[in-house]
Amino acid sequence: MSSNSLTLAPAPRSEAAEQVRAEVREFLAAELAAGTFTTHVDTWLSGVDPAFSKKLGERGWLGMTWPKEYGGHERSAMERYAVTEELLAAGAPVAAHWIADRQSGPNLLAYGTEKQRREILPRIAAGECFFVIGMSEPDSGSDLASIRTRATRDAAGDWVVDGAKVWTSNAHTSHYGIVLVRTSPADPANRHAGLSQLLVDLSLPGITINPIRILDGGHHFNEVVFEGAVVPGDMLLGEEGNGWHQVTAELAFERSGPERFLSTYPLVAEFARRVAESGDAAALATLGRISARLLALRQMSLRIAAALDRGELPNIPAALVKDVGTTFEGDVVEEIRKVVDVTPSLDSPDPLGRALAEAQLHAPGYTLRGGTNEILRGIVARGLGLR
Amino acid sequence: MSDQDLVVETVRDILAAHEPFVLTAERRWDAGLWGALAGAGLTGVGLPEEAGGSGGELADAVAIVRTLAAGAGAVPVAEQLLVAGPALLAADLELPSPDQPTTFATADAVTVHPVDNGDGPGRFTLTGTVTDLAWAGVARHVAVLAPAPGGIEGAVLALVDASSLPVTDAANLAGEPRGSLALDRVGASGALLTGPRAAEVRARFALARAVQLAAALEQVLAWTVRYAGERHQFGRPLGRFQAIQMELAEMAGEVTAVTALTDAAVQALDRGENVVLAAAAAKVRAGAAVEVVARLAHQVHGAIGFTQEHGLHHLTRRLWSWRDEAGSELAWSRVLGAGVLAGGPDQLWPALTRVV
Repeated sequence: MSSNSLTLAPAPRSEAAEQVRAEVREFLAAELAAGTFTTHVDTWLSGVDPAFSKKLGERGWLGMTWPKEYGGHERSAMERYAVTEELLAAGAPVAAHWIADRQSGPNLLAYGTEKQRREILPRIAAGECFFVIGMSEPDSGSDLASIRTRATRDAAGDWVVDGAKVWTSNAHTSHYGIVLVRTSPADPANRHAGLSQLLVDLSLPGITINPIRILDGGHHFNEVVFEGAVVPGDMLLGEEGNGWHQVTAELAFERSGPERFLSTYPLVAEFARRVAESGDAAALATLGRISARLLALRQMSLRIAAALDRGELPNIPAALVKDVGTTFEGDVVEEIRKVVDVTPSLDSPDPLGRALAEAQLHAPGYTLRGGTNEILRGIVARGLGLR
Repeated sequence: MSDQDLVVETVRDILAAHEPFVLTAERRWDAGLWGALAGAGLTGVGLPEEAGGSGGELADAVAIVRTLAAGAGAVPVAEQLLVAGPALLAADLELPSPDQPTTFATADAVTVHPVDNGDGPGRFTLTGTVTDLAWAGVARHVAVLAPAPGGIEGAVLALVDASSLPVTDAANLAGEPRGSLALDRVGASGALLTGPRAAEVRARFALARAVQLAAALEQVLAWTVRYAGERHQFGRPLGRFQAIQMELAEMAGEVTAVTALTDAAVQALDRGENVVLAAAAAKVRAGAAVEVVARLAHQVHGAIGFTQEHGLHHLTRRLWSWRDEAGSELAWSRVLGAGVLAGGPDQLWPALTRVV
C-alpha cells in the first residue's frame, strides 16, 4: 500500500509493546506514589523536568528506535508508541526531552554527519540533551517557505546567522535548535529552494532567548533572536539547499504520535472520577462518546507507528491523524463542561475545575502547533486528489 | 488476488446487475439481488459447510457485508452472516438454509416459556411483540434474543419460523423494513445463554451495523470526492475551492477514524476476544461520523443530492438509520462508558487500552 494513500493497513499486535507498556505503567505508579510529579494537562509542552527525562533515559525509554551504536535501543515504533502513550496518559512531565526524542533525533539520524550523530544522539537517548524546533518566524507561520532568517558563509566557512524564530517551545531549557534558514536568496520561481537546516548550540554568542507567555501565563514559548551568531561550518544538517525536503520528511514523526490526541487526557481521567461518583447517565454517555473517539484515534496512530516500522513515511495519514486528534483534544473540554456543574479555574479546590482550566487555556494551541489544521486539511485534500 | 478480493469482485459483479432502488411498502427489499447472492453461495459465507454454510472466514463474510453496504444492497446479509448465523451456531441451534434469509432481533418485550413436550429440552413458546425487526416480512426465520424465563439469569436465543406470522409494515429512514412481529405462543427451538453470552450476541449485531456504516461512509466520501471533481461552478471544479477541500478533508478524517476502529474490532472478534466494548466503541464512533459525513456530503452535492433522482440518498438515509439501530448510539455510549469505568475510575486508562 502506498505510504501516502489516506488509509494504512491495520497495525499488528505487538507483545513487546504490551510488555514495555506494563513496565512504564509500573514506573509511573511508583513515581506518582513518591510524589516526584503531579498529573497535568498538556505536559509535553509544559512539563519540563530534566531529572524525570534522565530517569526515562536510564530506563531505555528515549531514542528507543535508534541504532545501538548511537545510544539507541533498536526497538520498534510500536514499542515507542506504547511508552509515549503511557507517559502522556499519566500527565507526566515529558516536555524537556519530547522534541529531541520524537523529531530531532530521527532528523539527525537521517541527515546528520557521523560526528554530529556520535556527539549528540547518545546524549538525547540518555535524557541529557534537549532540542527545540526553529521553524516559525514573526512573519512566517503556516507559510514556512517565506522565512527570512539568513545564514551566510564567512571566510572561515562558518555560518553567520541573522533573524528570529518564534514559538520555540522550551528554548530556554534546551541545548540545541534545528533551525531552518535561508542559505541562498529567495527564488520566486522555486520557493522551496535555498533553505537549509543548521544544528545550533543555543548557548552561542549572538543568540538571545526572550520569553513569550501563553494564555495561562506559562513560559514555554520563546523568541530566539540571532544577531550575527556564528555557527561552526560543520553544523550544517544534511545538504545545503535541501532544508525544505528535510523539514517535510520529519512530519510523519511530528504529526502522528499520541500527543496529538492525548494532550487533554488527564482532564478525561479527572472527569471519569466525577462520573463514577455521580453516576449521572448523561455524563456516562459522554464518557462513552469520548472513549470511542479516543479509541479510534489510537488505532489511527498505531497504524502509523506500524507503517514507520515498515520503513514508510506516511505524511498524509499523519496529517489526517493530527487534524482529527487535535480537534478531539479541544472538543473534550466542551463535551465535559456540558455535563458537569463545575467552574473552571486554575485556583479551583476541585481537581476537575483545575483540569478544565488548564485544558481550556491551552486549547487554542492544539490545532495550531505542528501545522494548523487548515494546512493539514489541505494536505489531506491533496491525498484525495483534489489539488 | 486474495480470497477477499475475489469475494468482493464477485459481489460487485452481482451488484452491478442490481442497481439500488427506492424501497417502498410494495417493494421492501431486493429479492433478485438476494437470489443472485444465494445462487453464488454468498449468503452462507463464514458459516461452516457441515452446518449448511459455504465455509470461509469471518473476514470473507465481513468483506461481503461491506461491499453490499457500500452498494446499498437491500438484503439481510449482515444480519444473516455476522449475527444470526454465528449466534445460532454458537448456541448449538440448527442453522436454517442460507438460501432463505434469516434475521436477528433483540426482543425485551417477548416472554419465553420452556415447553416439555417429551422432545427434551430446547423447545420454547414465545409470546409478545418483536419491534423494530430488521427485514420484517422479508426474512423467513428470525433469531430472537429474549429475556430468559422467570427467575433465570441470561437470555434465550430462539429460532422462529416467521413465514406465516403477521408483521406490521414500518420502515427505517431508508425504507428498509423494520416492522413488528407478533408472537402468540409460537413454538421454537432455542437455547439458554448466560448474560455475558447474550451481551456478546447483542454486540455482534452492533458490530455488524458498524461494519455497514464504515463501508457506507467510505462510499459516500468517494462519491462526494468524485462529484466535487466533476461539478463545475465559477469556471472550475468544486474540489478546487478551498472551502470544499476543507469539508472533504474533514469527511476523510471521520471515515478513516471509523475504519481504523471498526477493523480493529472485527479483528478482535476474529481472535475470539470478548468484543462488547470494542463493538460499542465502533458503533458509537461510526454513528458520530454519520453526522459529519452525511451533512457535508449533502452540502457538497447541493440540491440534486437532496432528491431521489440522485443516488446519494441510498446511503445517507441508511447512515441516518443504521447509527441508531442494533442499539442506539446513546445506549452503546452508556455501555462503553460503564464498561471502561467498571474497574473504578483510577483504572480508566488500562481499561481503555484493553478495549481493542
